[in-house]
Amino acid sequence: MTEKQTLTETRPVPPAPRPPRGAALRRALKALRVFMRSQPLGAAALLLICAFVLVALLAPWIAPYDPLEQFRRDILDPPSGKYLFGTDDLGRDVLSRTIHGARTSLIVGVTTTGVSLVLGTMIGVISGYFGRGLDLVVQRVMDAVQAVPGIVLLLFIAVILGPSVCNTIIALTVVITPSFNRIARAETLRVRQEPYVEAARATGAHAPRILALHVLPNMLASVLTLGSLIFAGVIIAESALSFLGIGAPPPTPSWGLMLSEGVRYVERAPWLIIVPSVALSIAVFSFNLLGDALRDHLDPRLHRSAADRVTGLWWGRRMLSRLAPSLARATEQNLSTDVTTGGTPRPSEPPR
Amino acid sequence: MIGYTLRRLGYGVVVMGLVTIFVFVIMRLVPGDAVSLQLQDTGVSKEAADVLRAEFGLDDPVWVQLWEWLAGAVQGDLGASFYNKEPVIDLFLARVPVTVQLGLLAMLVGTALGLTVGIIAAITRGSVTDSALRVFAVAFLSVPNFVIALLLLTAFALWFAWSPPLVYAEPTEDFVSWAQQMAIPVFALGTGGMAAVARLTRSSMLESLGSDYIRTVRAKGVRERTVVLKHSLRNSTIAVLTLLGLELATVLGGTVIIERMFGLPGTGQLIYQAVLDRDYPVVVACTIFYAGLFVITIILIDLLYALVDPRIRTGKALS
Repeated sequence: MTEKQTLTETRPVPPAPRPPRGAALRRALKALRVFMRSQPLGAAALLLICAFVLVALLAPWIAPYDPLEQFRRDILDPPSGKYLFGTDDLGRDVLSRTIHGARTSLIVGVTTTGVSLVLGTMIGVISGYFGRGLDLVVQRVMDAVQAVPGIVLLLFIAVILGPSVCNTIIALTVVITPSFNRIARAETLRVRQEPYVEAARATGAHAPRILALHVLPNMLASVLTLGSLIFAGVIIAESALSFLGIGAPPPTPSWGLMLSEGVRYVERAPWLIIVPSVALSIAVFSFNLLGDALRDHLDPRLHRSAADRVTGLWWGRRMLSRLAPSLARATEQNLSTDVTTGGTPRPSEPPR
Repeated sequence: MIGYTLRRLGYGVVVMGLVTIFVFVIMRLVPGDAVSLQLQDTGVSKEAADVLRAEFGLDDPVWVQLWEWLAGAVQGDLGASFYNKEPVIDLFLARVPVTVQLGLLAMLVGTALGLTVGIIAAITRGSVTDSALRVFAVAFLSVPNFVIALLLLTAFALWFAWSPPLVYAEPTEDFVSWAQQMAIPVFALGTGGMAAVARLTRSSMLESLGSDYIRTVRAKGVRERTVVLKHSLRNSTIAVLTLLGLELATVLGGTVIIERMFGLPGTGQLIYQAVLDRDYPVVVACTIFYAGLFVITIILIDLLYALVDPRIRTGKALS
């Protein structure tokens, strides 16, 4: 669909008719409807994510208590009518803290994913489109960042900057940007070969125009799919950093922090572990599920040739496979990336 | 093949060089160095601190330090810890066995379980068992390994009033205590790999089970068990091996958190403490070791593929 549309846009004569106002929105809604119908699991994941976002946004109004208020008389109270999920060692309401923890996760997740998506895509597109020396240098630097295990890099940056939510975001952005760079570059290399880009170039379109009108729209699907899976990784990484004591500083309600505070009371107050664990797992699960469904929906085999299937490479196999074949394969097999542990992509099943 | 191998090795060397420079520069950007951290409560004069800095070479420009470190590293001298003055290589080697045991066991458990689950899901495709196993796999991919460890700890504490011993024991000295301590960490680290292996095994076996050569094998009258275990599974071996190579980095990264949680004296703990202490030589050595392992794995996977598929090494597949 997108291809057809860009083709009409590149045709110089007659000038492409401007789509009416609101057409983009309507098209997006239609795409969403099609997606929800063909991927029931994806629809369920979207609903879960909406619930997560709503809880995070409305936290102050939903939470029964202030997440920082210490009820000194009710320390380590088991779940009851008064405190639905019990209280912690300082007498704080676990339910309220969990609800506000969603807020912390959402802030870190949205900012990190957003910034690294934009930054990584820009680097990848420019590096891939202009190629040559620039590409060689930029990609080697990205490889070096990716070769350092994610957790070590996160430790470094978090220790340098000190524990705070803002610094967690900075550290995670550095670690994640190369993943977006990789996929954006691979997609650029793929799209650059397409006849419609050649046609645009032949009509004298400048690089910025080609990038904005042809290259970016055509990679949006892959980048967004990766974004969903990365979001899940960011939520894990944020809680892992907080768990290690170098993420969100103590009074902040964060799931990782709640877990590390709860470890000491495993036997006396298991709800301190179980409640944040379940919240964290559901959040991660829904983003992973959405990413999986998106990938199935935007079936890559549709634009995969028979030869590609043999070599098993489809994400911009050309340059990538020459420079880093196994990473190319990894990206191709699966986009889901575990950021906490080295940013290694995990293979997954090809959609069938 | 030789040319291809050399190119891949050259690429690895370049990346490792960049990693080294990267680590050096970033560590020196850290405000507050090992000396000021060590002396902050002792009230030692600024001059004495400067003497110490000169002794560690911390007052030289970054590139001089880098050069001296490289010169030493080539001769097998990775420097000494700023804290106890022990050679880094000794500190490191003392910690390696625990991490290797943990990592290997985790990968072993993950692969064994993952293959089993994947094969069962593939041969029961479309059934309830298949769906259940798939949901189970995605669920395990979504629960972070430290959360799995925590939940296991909680479950054992609640139901059996049992918790693992706090002090690490060598397996040669006290095997039971060692096994008790390693059980939860190994399982927690292995689950992520298990889910990934299961999914990959399922999909690649489904692909081969529908192919012509399997039909031929079946037509020959070969037993179904042999078809699945020998002909179909063998076809997925390379894909699974690739995955395991990449999984190595995940497992190594995971050990940092897990070792800290369970008080296991491995390299993960070493690097965590060293970063907190700004013990540069230890951090640099550990990081380069981890990154090196990752790069070597990737190169090995590439070479494996090139060996199997000549088009990769001749570059014909690139057109």
